[in-house]
Amino acid sequence: MHAWTWFLQRVSAVVIIIALGLHIAYLHFGTAGEPLTYSHIMSRFKMPLLITFDLLLLIFGLYHALYGVYSVFLDFDSGKKEKFMVLGLLIVTGLGLSVFGVFSLLRTVYSI
Amino acid sequence: MSESLHVKVFRFDPESDVEPNFDVFDVPVFKNMAILDVVMHIQNYMDRSLSFRFSCRIGMCGSCAMYVNGRARLACRTQVSVLKTRNITIMPLPNFPIIRDLVVDMTPFFDKWKAVKPYYMPQPECDEPATVKPDSNEREFIDDMLDCISCGCCYSACSMVATNSDYLGPAALNRAYTLIADKRDAIRVERLKAVDRSYGVWRCHTQFNCAEVCPKDIVPTRSIQNLKQRCVMKKFGIFK
Repeated sequence: MHAWTWFLQRVSAVVIIIALGLHIAYLHFGTAGEPLTYSHIMSRFKMPLLITFDLLLLIFGLYHALYGVYSVFLDFDSGKKEKFMVLGLLIVTGLGLSVFGVFSLLRTVYSI
Repeated sequence: MSESLHVKVFRFDPESDVEPNFDVFDVPVFKNMAILDVVMHIQNYMDRSLSFRFSCRIGMCGSCAMYVNGRARLACRTQVSVLKTRNITIMPLPNFPIIRDLVVDMTPFFDKWKAVKPYYMPQPECDEPATVKPDSNEREFIDDMLDCISCGCCYSACSMVATNSDYLGPAALNRAYTLIADKRDAIRVERLKAVDRSYGVWRCHTQFNCAEVCPKDIVPTRSIQNLKQRCVMKKFGIFK
């Protein structure tokens, strides 16, 4: 369990660096001169590559952040019951925010 | 530097004291004086009841580790001049039970040392002497980690040990790594299993306190991170 979660945090770190880097690079260089209007931003969101990066950022960013929070919590060396409760709360929070984020992004793409 | 040092020394005798206290001594300073010279001067000329450990006096045995001005250090290798102050506070190493004054009980430390089977186990079919190329990357990395003198400085500085005494600690894990990374060792997998647990490698949160205080400039955190990588490799079935 520890080995997998630790490994996944390393993977998520690499994904975040690449996806966030490309995301920022695109917004900075790829949209130069483009007027900042609602319709332009909506059309940008419908680009498959950009939405893929955003979905990756959302999922891996959430995992990375919540695993970090859990690691900080572990420093306090609480009892098994507290660890279980906090882990459960973080999983529910992570899943809830993931579903909300994915739904919001896809709703934008498909204009639900 | 001034002619004398203002030295506060932690005192505690479990047979007579209810609580620990500090005694203050004015110790004359001389050129190249080490902290070990300070406590020896106090014991020789001021208070013969002061207890502390030392042996080799040259930073090899690891006996004289103490908590000096807020940091674990080897008393014999710490010159007074590097502290850049006349006020010196000397305490026993944190995270260890205190036996008396500056002497701590190293039993918890060496119990964890034992838990990782800190000795080389040769493979039965191994032809001796084994050939180990000194210029191999793996060998070069292990070489640094073998310098550990088990002084306990890293263990005393580790906040993860402070919050849970079940944690194996940096020194034992570093020792485990030197053996697990040695392909001649016969029980590498069992050894890895022994450290692959909540209070083994996974308790390390890479704060690098151990590396900060190590008198031999070892970075146990690197060994622990390498052990974590090997635990993942074991899960993928590529650690043999």
